[in-house]
Amino acid sequence: MLEVKDLKVYFRTREGNVHAVDGVSFHVDEGESLGIVGESGSGKSVTSLSIMRLLQIPPAQIMDGSSIVFQDAELVDMEESEMRKIRGRQIAMIFQDPMTSLNPVLTVERQLIEPLQLHLGLSRGEAHNRARELLEAVGIPDAERRLRSYPHQFSGGMRQRVMIAIAIAANPKLLIADEPTTALDVTVQAQILELINRLRRDLGTSVMLITHDLGVVAGMTDRIIVMYAGKIAETASTDELFANPRHPYTLGLLSAVPRLDEERPTELQTIPGSPPDQLHPIEGCPFQPRCPFVLPQCKQYPPARKIAGNHVAYCWVDVTDPEEQKRAMQRGFIPLTEIGRSYLAQS
Amino acid sequence: MSTIQSEQSPQAGIGVELTPELLRKRRGQLRIIFDRFIRNKVAVAGLAVLALITLAAIFAPVITHQTATFDPNTATDVYHIASGPIPGHPLGTDYVGRDEVARLLFGARVSLLVGLASMVASIFIGVSVGALAGYYGGWLDNLMMRVTDAFLAIPLYLILFVLAATFTTGSGSASVIGVIVLIAAFSWPATARIVRGEFLGLKEREFLLAARTLGANDFRLMLRHILPNAAGPVIVAATLLVGFNIITESTLSFFNFGVQPPESSWGTMLATSQDYFSEQPLLVLIPGVAILITVLSINLVGDGLRDALDPYMTER
Repeated sequence: MLEVKDLKVYFRTREGNVHAVDGVSFHVDEGESLGIVGESGSGKSVTSLSIMRLLQIPPAQIMDGSSIVFQDAELVDMEESEMRKIRGRQIAMIFQDPMTSLNPVLTVERQLIEPLQLHLGLSRGEAHNRARELLEAVGIPDAERRLRSYPHQFSGGMRQRVMIAIAIAANPKLLIADEPTTALDVTVQAQILELINRLRRDLGTSVMLITHDLGVVAGMTDRIIVMYAGKIAETASTDELFANPRHPYTLGLLSAVPRLDEERPTELQTIPGSPPDQLHPIEGCPFQPRCPFVLPQCKQYPPARKIAGNHVAYCWVDVTDPEEQKRAMQRGFIPLTEIGRSYLAQS
Repeated sequence: MSTIQSEQSPQAGIGVELTPELLRKRRGQLRIIFDRFIRNKVAVAGLAVLALITLAAIFAPVITHQTATFDPNTATDVYHIASGPIPGHPLGTDYVGRDEVARLLFGARVSLLVGLASMVASIFIGVSVGALAGYYGGWLDNLMMRVTDAFLAIPLYLILFVLAATFTTGSGSASVIGVIVLIAAFSWPATARIVRGEFLGLKEREFLLAARTLGANDFRLMLRHILPNAAGPVIVAATLLVGFNIITESTLSFFNFGVQPPESSWGTMLATSQDYFSEQPLLVLIPGVAILITVLSINLVGDGLRDALDPYMTER
């Protein structure tokens, strides 16, 4: 349904081009849920804004050769007026911070009926009824009264529910959720993820879930893409990725997830170093300065290593090789325990 | 639409105690602004005076017993010229024997009409220019703001006098429309600057990106999403403009460039009575005080609105 091919987005700055997204290809199938995981600056959000064609151009620039095909239509060079018919109607988006992504001076009702008026041409009465249904569908009690409320009269979790209601109002085919739970506290996070999952099942909407938190995608998505420095590091089905991670960066991310079930709590693992400077991308694999498995051939960008089925890792090293592991452990690599992995896969 | 079932909210059923703070939060935004305005006694007094003046202007024909054959605004009492307060003429008569109360009330109609109408036109131009400049930025912003600067650099009364000489030569109501157009044409730049500043800040806010993801076009974003957020400063600017425009109109009329006879405004009343100041100072004082009270009330209301609309105002 959505097919992104060799997407390159550069930001032009005075000092040079920042390679925010650098040759990313992936697809989302009908009804599927895809997780995109990576740390800040890995290009996750730029990817989603490229799909919506909402990047500021300039400074951003979608480079030649990039292709984003949605339901047989190329989005990269689509007319703005055509694009507006897709936004909200075909592809909708939820943002990180529900405090700032709702208009503070408009009632919830006015914001809810916006997509209904724009795309479905509903009358005022019809739109009102539909708006109430939507609020009920996302689990907001006393919907009729709450329609007249302003965003500041809702709690953070309730606001995110409102955002979700607005996003699904016109029944879009694809829902892009950009860090939808990052600004919420932990108990509310689970409720919001549960809600997104339930709506996906009920409406048959595809979901693209963007997050920096592997714990969030664990129980949510069918497939996962791990991004690093604007490139894809590894992609696999969710179960496969947790059970059999093959990229050193994925291993690093997995061991950086705090765990509650350790018998002897150890210090939280971190990936040493900091994300690369995408203004001056290094030759070859972008992870090499931080990678405990690093080899001389990492100066060349690694080819796709097909592990099994749709599991692909972009790495020269076979991280399951005991010899390689021994070598990496001398550089401070700590292998994941089985307990940790199964815990992650369940959560 | 596929089936979407209602979900039992986890929050439902948990009794949340409604503290006074929570209750306050539940009030609508307009309500909060209204409450804050009401607590400002001076502003409320200004509003009351303004309402009284407006009502008196609207019902001027009734108050002065205007009929099809009797126009108190023009009828002269030749036995009483510049009389001062006497029975039948509570504020006296002017230099040709017209009732001063009638002149004042009918003058109020013109003054208020000019003040309001030129404000509406001025705000329309100012908001349009400011919104386009702030929203699109770039060369359009540069062009529009330089034009705005140019307008601000023109000595206001000089250009008004020059243009009025050709614009408001028509008599009666034609001159009123001329004055409205003239004042509007030169009072918009301040509003444009305010609105541009608001739009510059607001267009980067995340809720606009969110509105864009729903498929809203630029026009809709400006009108329905940004403008309501800029309503506070615009309302305050509009209020103060009414007062400013009434003064401008009076000044123009005082120098005979404004409203032309037989139509009268407070400014023309001032102008025509100044020759008789030594004999009957009341004729100058009455329209002068009327202008003072009206503009003062408007400005008090404007200040009250500014405070009520400012979210960072500390509670008094």
